[in-house]
Amino acid sequence: MTTIYEGMFLIDNAAVREDWNAAKTIITGTLEKHGATIHTARRWDERRLAYPIKKRNRATFLLTYFEIPGENVPAMRREFELNDTVLRNLQIAVDAIPESETELAQAELSDDFVVPAPPEDDAVDEKPSEEGEESSEDGEKAKAEGDEKKSEGESSEEKPSEETKAEADDETKQKEGAAASEEN
Amino acid sequence: MAIKGKFGRRGNQRNRRTCDDQPLDYKDVETLEKFLTAYGQIQGRRRTGYVAKCQRDLKLAIKRARFLGLMPFVG
Repeated sequence: MTTIYEGMFLIDNAAVREDWNAAKTIITGTLEKHGATIHTARRWDERRLAYPIKKRNRATFLLTYFEIPGENVPAMRREFELNDTVLRNLQIAVDAIPESETELAQAELSDDFVVPAPPEDDAVDEKPSEEGEESSEDGEKAKAEGDEKKSEGESSEEKPSEETKAEADDETKQKEGAAASEEN
Repeated sequence: MAIKGKFGRRGNQRNRRTCDDQPLDYKDVETLEKFLTAYGQIQGRRRTGYVAKCQRDLKLAIKRARFLGLMPFVG
């Protein structure tokens, strides 16, 4: 007995960027391989994920409606789980295909339909390493600032000492001069 | 013994909301987000006002949306 299923597949944006039809064929080909009859298959949306899945921040969603014998479903799901192009997959049994769905799927088959290119920021950033680099850079900057301050402090300390020495020399000279005049 | 209000623990059952006119779907993320708390938890029936069956449908739709990365598990 066949049942109508609604399938939602998250496709890796890298595969979508290369060729949307090839990425779509991966899904539809796998379904047909397991004896499914595909009624509709269309690009539902491309959006940012709420949390990273397989190190991806964004994904393209493919919505399909198909009929498949119940005994073939576990093998089909397992094959999708093993496929790297498919980030997540969900199949749920539905009573009927929505009326608007066939129109939307046909619109995608027309020649005017162009798949917009996914944004580039789909890969997860390696934040810890960047933060570490930043922190090390900051540390170096702080060290450099500290050295500058130290050198300034040393120079500022040195200046008064030189002045005091010069003053002391002047005083000794004056005293010696006064003593010499008294003797004379 | 805890003191219950005029309408009991579940409130006034006559003002319960149903999802018959607008079925809950996991793809309708904007609607589902209204039934989450600030921390991303599913609100209880007292807050949503749904009848028991619709509350179960809501729970299922949110969990499906979370699985597909459409909604967060936390936050």
